[in-house]
Amino acid sequence: MIGETTLLASAFVVPLGMLLACLWPPALNRMPSLLAFAPIPALLAVLLVASDSSLAIGSARFRLTFALDRPGAMLLGVAALLWIASGAYASQYLQGRPNRGRFVVCWLMTLTGCLGVFLAADMVGFYFLLALLTLGACGLVIYHETPSAWRAGAVYIGLALLAESLLLMAFVLLAAQIPGDSLLIRDAAAALPTSPQRDLILALLMAGFGMKAGLVPFHFWMPLAYSAAPTPASAVLSGAVVKASILGMIRFLPLETALPDWGTALAAAGLFAALYGVVIGITQRNPRVVLAYSSVSQMGFIVAVIGMGMLAGDGRAALAAAFYAAHHVLVKGALFLSVGVIAATGSRRLWPMLLPAAIIAVGLGGLPLTGGALAKFVADELLGDGPASTIATLSSVGTTLLMLQFLRSLAKSASQDPQATAAAGLVWPWLATAVVSLVVPWTLYLTVPSGTLPDPLSPAVLWKALWPVLLGAVLAIALWRWWRSLPRIPKGDIIVALDGGMQIAVTWGKALGQMDRFLRQWPAAGVSLLMVTIALGAAVFAR
Amino acid sequence: MPDANVLPDATTTDGALLVLAIVLPAAGVLLSFVLGGRYAERIASVLLPSGLFLATIIFADVWQSGHPLIYIVGDWKPPLGIALRADGLSAAMMVAMAIVICAVAIFAHADFGTRPGSVEARAPFAFWILLMAIWGAMNMVFLGGDLFTLYVAIELLTFAAVPLVCLDGRAETLQAALRYLLFALLGSILYLVGTALLYGSYATLDIVLLSRQVRMEPATLVAATLMTIGLFAKTALFPLHLWLPPAHAGAPAAASAVLSAVVVKGSFFIVVRLWFDVMPGMLGAAGAQLFGALGAAAIVFGSVVALQQQRLKLLIAYSTVAQIGYLFLMFPLALDTAAQLQGGGALTGGMLQAISHATAKAAMFMAAGLIYATLGHDRIAELGGAARALPMTIFAFALGGVSLIGLPPSGGFLAKWLLLEAAVATGQWWWAIVMLAGGLFTSGYMFIVLSSAVAPSSEPLKLRVAVPRYQEAAALALALTSLLLGLVALGPVDILLVGRPDSMMVGPR
Amino acid sequence: MTAATLFGLCGAALVGFGLYGLVTNPEPLRKILAFNLLGSGVFLVFGVVSRRAAASGLGGDPVPQAMVITAIVVAFAATAMAIALVLRLLQETGRSTLSADNPGGTDTDRGNS
Repeated sequence: MIGETTLLASAFVVPLGMLLACLWPPALNRMPSLLAFAPIPALLAVLLVASDSSLAIGSARFRLTFALDRPGAMLLGVAALLWIASGAYASQYLQGRPNRGRFVVCWLMTLTGCLGVFLAADMVGFYFLLALLTLGACGLVIYHETPSAWRAGAVYIGLALLAESLLLMAFVLLAAQIPGDSLLIRDAAAALPTSPQRDLILALLMAGFGMKAGLVPFHFWMPLAYSAAPTPASAVLSGAVVKASILGMIRFLPLETALPDWGTALAAAGLFAALYGVVIGITQRNPRVVLAYSSVSQMGFIVAVIGMGMLAGDGRAALAAAFYAAHHVLVKGALFLSVGVIAATGSRRLWPMLLPAAIIAVGLGGLPLTGGALAKFVADELLGDGPASTIATLSSVGTTLLMLQFLRSLAKSASQDPQATAAAGLVWPWLATAVVSLVVPWTLYLTVPSGTLPDPLSPAVLWKALWPVLLGAVLAIALWRWWRSLPRIPKGDIIVALDGGMQIAVTWGKALGQMDRFLRQWPAAGVSLLMVTIALGAAVFAR
Repeated sequence: MPDANVLPDATTTDGALLVLAIVLPAAGVLLSFVLGGRYAERIASVLLPSGLFLATIIFADVWQSGHPLIYIVGDWKPPLGIALRADGLSAAMMVAMAIVICAVAIFAHADFGTRPGSVEARAPFAFWILLMAIWGAMNMVFLGGDLFTLYVAIELLTFAAVPLVCLDGRAETLQAALRYLLFALLGSILYLVGTALLYGSYATLDIVLLSRQVRMEPATLVAATLMTIGLFAKTALFPLHLWLPPAHAGAPAAASAVLSAVVVKGSFFIVVRLWFDVMPGMLGAAGAQLFGALGAAAIVFGSVVALQQQRLKLLIAYSTVAQIGYLFLMFPLALDTAAQLQGGGALTGGMLQAISHATAKAAMFMAAGLIYATLGHDRIAELGGAARALPMTIFAFALGGVSLIGLPPSGGFLAKWLLLEAAVATGQWWWAIVMLAGGLFTSGYMFIVLSSAVAPSSEPLKLRVAVPRYQEAAALALALTSLLLGLVALGPVDILLVGRPDSMMVGPR
Repeated sequence: MTAATLFGLCGAALVGFGLYGLVTNPEPLRKILAFNLLGSGVFLVFGVVSRRAAASGLGGDPVPQAMVITAIVVAFAATAMAIALVLRLLQETGRSTLSADNPGGTDTDRGNS
């Protein structure tokens, strides 16, 4: 239907058009107040477009395709909600700040890339939008232009481009497996299990998406980037943008086919990250860094769900992971926004602001009746009763602990001025996101048929969700008691090792520079000319 | 083969356009000499756009007919006479180079323009004449149908390029020009030896006739080796790149743009002609791997040394050294199972890389020139505030970088995709690693430059001159061309493959 | 020893001398002279090989002669241009060397990078 394809196209064409309009200075000046409107077409597309319509641009030999599948639609919808709220927040945030133009351009780039990735149905479009997203996100991270922001931006873009190189290689390998000229992700995923290069492709995909998802040991960019970026940017980066990697895994990995070895590896890596994020996170004092480590942990958990799906060849993992990720989009976005709100709020009005944050934060740990409990409940089905389930429960305990630590550091970060109040333009988007994060998971659960599941409101299920939260709370009290004896771990933990690697690289680079200087002298160049001649002569004679 | 010496082709309709493409620049050069320096720019400003128009017509003609355009000069058929041929490769390259040269001409109006009432100056006079000469020589490289015409063309190209290096007459640019000239002469002598040996063996240098007759014999192999190395020296393929960084970094911005974007592609194009058209079955696996190894070494060395540069123009020059390496990766990737060089995805990817590098690199050198003119220096560490003073220029530079890194939708991305696809199809994963690593290195030095340009300046900027808007627009237009080049993939026909001999036509070996 | 072999050997010797001089001699003027020596050797070889090709057909093949003459003109032009550059360099600096192997003086601040 023409109407549906138009709506589908407008989901990413409208932000793209706004991005291009920024080339015109008057439009750029107006743009900060319009940020909240850019994602609205995407939201409409999710609500109105049937899930099987698609849009193709290009010739028969090479075309870009955009389509909505169910996990994509779920993530696109909640991402659009978060982008709308954060856009409204950013409009207020930008008032009176320098470099608004650059922020807006990077914001729209990231937005276009983020929403587009959820719609892209072919590999080239996916890669393009991923690259656009990376460049924009890097610009957002370095917005404040402090040395730590530059460092975070450099680390972020370096790792992201490395990940995209791996993904590009994987895509090219996949394109070679697909019979015919199709570049559709669907065909690629279907051709993958029987491909002779299956293991290589899977390794590349998992490494590439794993880096983008912040799996340990590639997690160090998250604490750096999320603590350096402006508040609304941190919210969308940690909430919506990072989910592109989850969607990539859902779309590319063959979840219908059981691949026990790879599934186990992925699940193990995810569960390890889920625990690792908690362990490092509880030693941190900056609420943004705590949240970033919580993201490491949560993303690890989502990856583990996908891994378990691969292990069992259970296609329901796609929907479960998307559902869990959708919840995380909203909660993490709301929590990052709360950091900005609380920092502008004085002690007089602190509690009314802290309470919603507390509810959704503990909800992430699985507090019954919140979206978090529901998300964990859906994921539990896949994790089974084995060790993975135990680790999941542990992660639930740990997440509660981590979230309480977040709330503690959040309360400490409140404004020094007891009378200070956050601007309404900051508070409302935040509260809206918080409410949405509680409501939407239930709406999704009730509207999207996710198979036959037991009743999420039965007492047994409620208790199963509650006791890890209570245990986490008890542990938090213990943690604060021995708080002083905890080691201080710098944010980004293992990045210290990376600095050592840089030193070695610089040494090697200097050596190559010396060699270049030598080779560019006349006699050396003359000798190289003769040697290359002899080598080429030998090579062509050799056959 | 009884009819080995008879060409099936004769002058095609519109074949005379090819003559025009060579005669027009030559006429411009001569006319400028006759009328004097004050008119050189005016002549160029008429002839260069008409050259672009001409190239476009030839391109459209080749595209629509699906056959190469041919002109037999004086109706003397090869082997005695000379043929001009425009196949898909030449037509595409002609249009790309004409676009770059026109953009450079617009850009150069500010630096080398003739103001009304001013006295005749030496540098503008030389610049416009040399620009037209380079354009003519490039057209000759693309259209020349025999190896000796190509020799003359590549010599003309060198003679036009060397003075461009030392337009400002400073001692170090003179030195750079001399190094360039002497090394290029070494290369051209090697090429000449090769043509002598080939003529001795086959009594013809015509590309089509030779391709039917070449046999695997020592003289042919020696000839091909010597010609190739000569062209490597002129292309500045690592480790024969000694002349490139000082020459390209020292020249005025407009000249650097032409040198880096256009001139090195001339000798590269002849390498492609030689191996893909004249002797596709001769290079063999070992030779192709050697080409690839030199290219890979160029990518690694060029990129790593570029990362250490402290001056912007030198960084871009070293980036050219690295990007030249990419061009040679297509040789091992184009080799099919019968050790024949095939014109498929790898060739298309390689040529696309050449075109996208030409547009992107010209834009980057122009941007560097504008930065230099505005700040009075091009030290990378002190570029702070440049983004505020010259937003359009920095934007153009960044877009050029996007194409060099190979991010979609740039031409660099499409080229990389095609080359990677070829690497996968032929199972040569090591070249894929080099390509991907090269992209990461490129993003490294782009990040260094851009981060320093975006950073605020420590002290208030003293802008030396206000840069004319059209100069920025020329750079931006080229960068956008490079960025959107990848969209050609959405089109229906693969123009680069028009006029390529099928494997059936290659003949006995 | 036939005339062709003799010519060939002479050409090869000239090419060898020229190549050696071009690579090892630091003086630009000597490099230019070496280039001319190298060029003469190549022209000689060109004449010899094309004579061999012509032997199968006509008494004399005009094409290689035309080519050698063109090549000589090209070499002459190249020499003239190189000499002009050397002269200009001499005027500017008082010496004519190619010693500066580092472009743009990056070596001077190598230490603090």
